Amino acid sequence: MEILRNMWRRKFRTFLTIFGIVIGIFAFTVMGSMALKLNKMIDGGKRYITGQITISPKGAGAEALSGATGGTLPVDTLNKIAQVDGVKAVAAGIGLLLEEPDPDNPSSGGVSMGPPPSIMGMDSKSDFQNVNWTTLDMKEGKMIDKSTADNEVAVGYSIAADKKIKAGDTMKIRGRDFKVIGILDKTMTGPDSYVMMQMTPARELFVESNPFLKSLKEKADSAAAISESELNKLSPASREQIIQAKSFKMEDISTSASVSWKDGYDSDTVSNNIKDKFNKEVSVLSPKKMGEEIDKASAMINSIIFGSALLALVVGLFSIVNTMVMSISERTKEIGIKKALGASNGSIAWEYTLEAGVIGLLGGLIGGGLGMLTAWLLNLKMAEKGAEIFLVSPSFFTQVLIFSFAIGIVAGVIPAMRAAKLRVVEAIREL
Amino acid sequence: MENIIVQASGLKKSYKMSKTNIVKALDGVDIEIHEGDFSAIVGPSGCGKSTLMHILGLLDRPDEGKIMIGGDDMSNLKDREAHKIRAKKIGFIFQGFNLIPTLTALENVILAGKYGGMSVSARRRRAKELMEMVGLSDRMNHKPYELSGGQQQRVAIARALMNDPAIILADEPTGELDTKTSLEIMEMLKKLNKENKKTFLIVTHNPEVADSCKKVIHLKDGKNTK
Repeated sequence: MEILRNMWRRKFRTFLTIFGIVIGIFAFTVMGSMALKLNKMIDGGKRYITGQITISPKGAGAEALSGATGGTLPVDTLNKIAQVDGVKAVAAGIGLLLEEPDPDNPSSGGVSMGPPPSIMGMDSKSDFQNVNWTTLDMKEGKMIDKSTADNEVAVGYSIAADKKIKAGDTMKIRGRDFKVIGILDKTMTGPDSYVMMQMTPARELFVESNPFLKSLKEKADSAAAISESELNKLSPASREQIIQAKSFKMEDISTSASVSWKDGYDSDTVSNNIKDKFNKEVSVLSPKKMGEEIDKASAMINSIIFGSALLALVVGLFSIVNTMVMSISERTKEIGIKKALGASNGSIAWEYTLEAGVIGLLGGLIGGGLGMLTAWLLNLKMAEKGAEIFLVSPSFFTQVLIFSFAIGIVAGVIPAMRAAKLRVVEAIREL
Repeated sequence: MENIIVQASGLKKSYKMSKTNIVKALDGVDIEIHEGDFSAIVGPSGCGKSTLMHILGLLDRPDEGKIMIGGDDMSNLKDREAHKIRAKKIGFIFQGFNLIPTLTALENVILAGKYGGMSVSARRRRAKELMEMVGLSDRMNHKPYELSGGQQQRVAIARALMNDPAIILADEPTGELDTKTSLEIMEMLKKLNKENKKTFLIVTHNPEVADSCKKVIHLKDGKNTK
């Protein structure tokens, strides 16, 4: 009580000090909520990636995961990979952006974190299962399986929220109508922005989207119309061309493949087995190495986010120190009186430390509250688009409060010690 | 013979103002206060009155000499222990009243009880009694700046009495009050001495105040003169 009255004595100064903390804590809370969300997404992605060996076309690298590159994996290669020692199952996959990118406005999708809305072709006939993501929970309807028709899709939570889609609706994807058979539950990570379908339609959409593959397919289609007897009549050069065109198979179009390993095998060993044999044809992402890479990246993101927020807090901390030093020099006489009345050094030190703690706590309460509110409001706004960028967590808020109180205490300790060590006679003499 | 409350001998204290200027505030002072005494320390300004009072009140330490309070030797007292003695055995009344401005009159009195280790309810009860005794029961919840000088000094007296100390040290208790109020305050102190058997040591340069004391200790240039 006395603490609040003491703070109230210099309203403007107390206000300014608390305001400084508010800004620091506000930045800390907002950025922290963002980091939490980011970590959650990274964690989800990490769980997925470390649950399987991911194969991508040579040269495409990790970007193939987002399905945005051109290389493909021939079915023959995938079949051979399935024979490698330790490999349990191989599933081909297709990934491509849900919307045709608008060349005039590349960021038309708005700012979003995590993967962009994508189409994922799933090899439901394969026995493959991700070690960490065995099933995806459904909000409504059902997931793609062997019995799913080619014109049926399962839609991720964020896309469904953004486009206001329910199970049973019809959804237009790149000019084609699909029937929505299920909506996935919120995962806070990748699958939220996926539309999942069978490989055949995904391959078709992928070929449609790629001018080179499209022309190849057209050639193959027209070549298929040419019978053997007709072919023999052609000149050797054009015959060669047609035979080549005929060799084009839709099956060869896969942008990635997922590999699971047999029980008792080490994922790294299996990755290396594949790498040894197919080093020239495919890139192999080993779960362990990817896990480490992801950890490194998220550690860096975290240190940048928390580092900058901490910087703001350090400034706040010094403003508390400054305020406390000033209040103590103003109240020197009072401290002297209290000591004359028999206050121990400890009780004087505690009094001022607590006052600094309360300043910190008030700053934390206001700043953290505003930060949470901001994150929540922005989320609310972004949720319509299905792209929340903050994780509003009450436990984080509690941590922020404890932290801000601790900051105040830390800032208060040195001035409070100085107050406690004041010599009574000198303190009283001061008028 | 009454009990000796405070006994000090050969007290010396000097302040180093600069390298060459060392001021001897006390230069071998002896003093003895008995239970129930109403004594005054008098002398011209700069004679070391306040320094003596600070040393007797354990607010400062002598360079040399011995202090006994209630029969215990305080010469080698650690700072950590001194605050307990101050809280329980010594009451202070200052010239400038020295109330805490953010606290009400009652809370100022209660504060002393807190340092004296009284329980929360006991503090409150005793503080109210004392406020009544000094005639301020209707002013308990006023802040110091809402009170007159005399009233503030009465709050300070109540505060000094809070832990029922063995001795009350008063440093120019009427120094900032007009003649009429000064008389009232002195009457109150005398009454406390007579009726409640409180021991007082009053530092003053006011001869009228000194005259009203039973025992007068004269100081000059840091030494006893009589």
